[in-house]
Amino acid sequence: MAEVQQQEQGSGKKHKKVRAKKTSTHIDMTPMVDLAFLLLTFFMLTTTFSRPKTMEINMPVKDAKEEEQQKVAASQTLSVLLTEKDRIIWYMGVDDPAMPPQTNSATFSLASPNSIHKVLLEKNQRIYDQVVELRKQAEKESWPQDTLKARIARTKADKKGLIVLIKSDDKARYKNLVDILDEMSVCAIGRFAIVDVTPSEQELIKNTNQ
Amino acid sequence: MTPMVDLAFLLVTFFMLTTKFRPDEPVIVDTPSSISEIKLPTIDIMTMTVDKDGRVFFDMDGKANREQAIRKMGERYSVQFTPEDIKRFSVLTTFGMSIQELKNWLPLKPEERKKIHDEGIPIDSLNNQLSDWINFGRHANPKYRIAIKGDQDADYPTIKRVIAILQDNKINKFNLITSLEAEGEPVAVAGKK
Repeated sequence: MAEVQQQEQGSGKKHKKVRAKKTSTHIDMTPMVDLAFLLLTFFMLTTTFSRPKTMEINMPVKDAKEEEQQKVAASQTLSVLLTEKDRIIWYMGVDDPAMPPQTNSATFSLASPNSIHKVLLEKNQRIYDQVVELRKQAEKESWPQDTLKARIARTKADKKGLIVLIKSDDKARYKNLVDILDEMSVCAIGRFAIVDVTPSEQELIKNTNQ
Repeated sequence: MTPMVDLAFLLVTFFMLTTKFRPDEPVIVDTPSSISEIKLPTIDIMTMTVDKDGRVFFDMDGKANREQAIRKMGERYSVQFTPEDIKRFSVLTTFGMSIQELKNWLPLKPEERKKIHDEGIPIDSLNNQLSDWINFGRHANPKYRIAIKGDQDADYPTIKRVIAILQDNKINKFNLITSLEAEGEPVAVAGKK
């Protein structure tokens, strides 16, 4: 390029002046555009927009005094035992070594006939319906988000509603815990707690093993 | 071509400004998916990572808070940290080793650090360093929110232990970090592996 320019200079100034007016001021943008697209591709491929999501959990206070702890009615309590190979064992009522409860097994899979989702939904149908109703109403009357949230929270806190005790044994995976917590929010169960497995329940798990 | 180039540069600028490079993490954790849509706050977060081998890692943000926490930890376990060590520590992120190993690990170069296999932070009741980290961290910044980032294959006893440590520190409200359930995939199809 430099050579070409020098030759032009040598050939006379008069010509150049005339030509300079005619030649358009277009510069070759191709390399710049190449670079721009390269950078664009790089940033597009490296960017991840999804921020991690989170579920908030409130655990019961550990050293609450005996009388402060709520007594739960056996008839509305459902215990969910999580164990190895993503299996679930559940029973109604409270753990009583003298009178072993009737246990049922379930799976996380929605497609399976004994999925835990169906069980929980069936047991919590009344509150679930109320929440669905609230959502519909909110949409119709366009409530603010806070109102809806507060109303749903109040419905979920129903004293006669289902109480779920989540107990996970040592062979369960962390994923199982998250899945069952998910199920709580799907089935509109507001009252649940993560508690430890008792020795008698360990027996139950062992006995229900296929 | 000019409009196209304009657009290209606009996009480049946009991506350049929005991109935040992820810091080097010592362990890759595959978080379980959930339907929860609450976003994790970006500041004042204290994270406990549990990987699938049951190792526990710890992270907290804020340079000043990290400096204060490591100083207190040094005093508590009588490990002497030089001002350079403390400075290095303050700009790091997740780590997973005992305070004694941390002392030898901090002066290393980044490439050398990667070669060392992290053992995880001790969490047993005799040498519960995680509890002290949480305690001193919260002392430095009481506004910290606690998050547990567990691998989906992490075994439950380790998670239970971490939760127990949190509860011992009077933390009964915390977050479980999850990724969003893939669209179209039915909820709780979990565990079909």
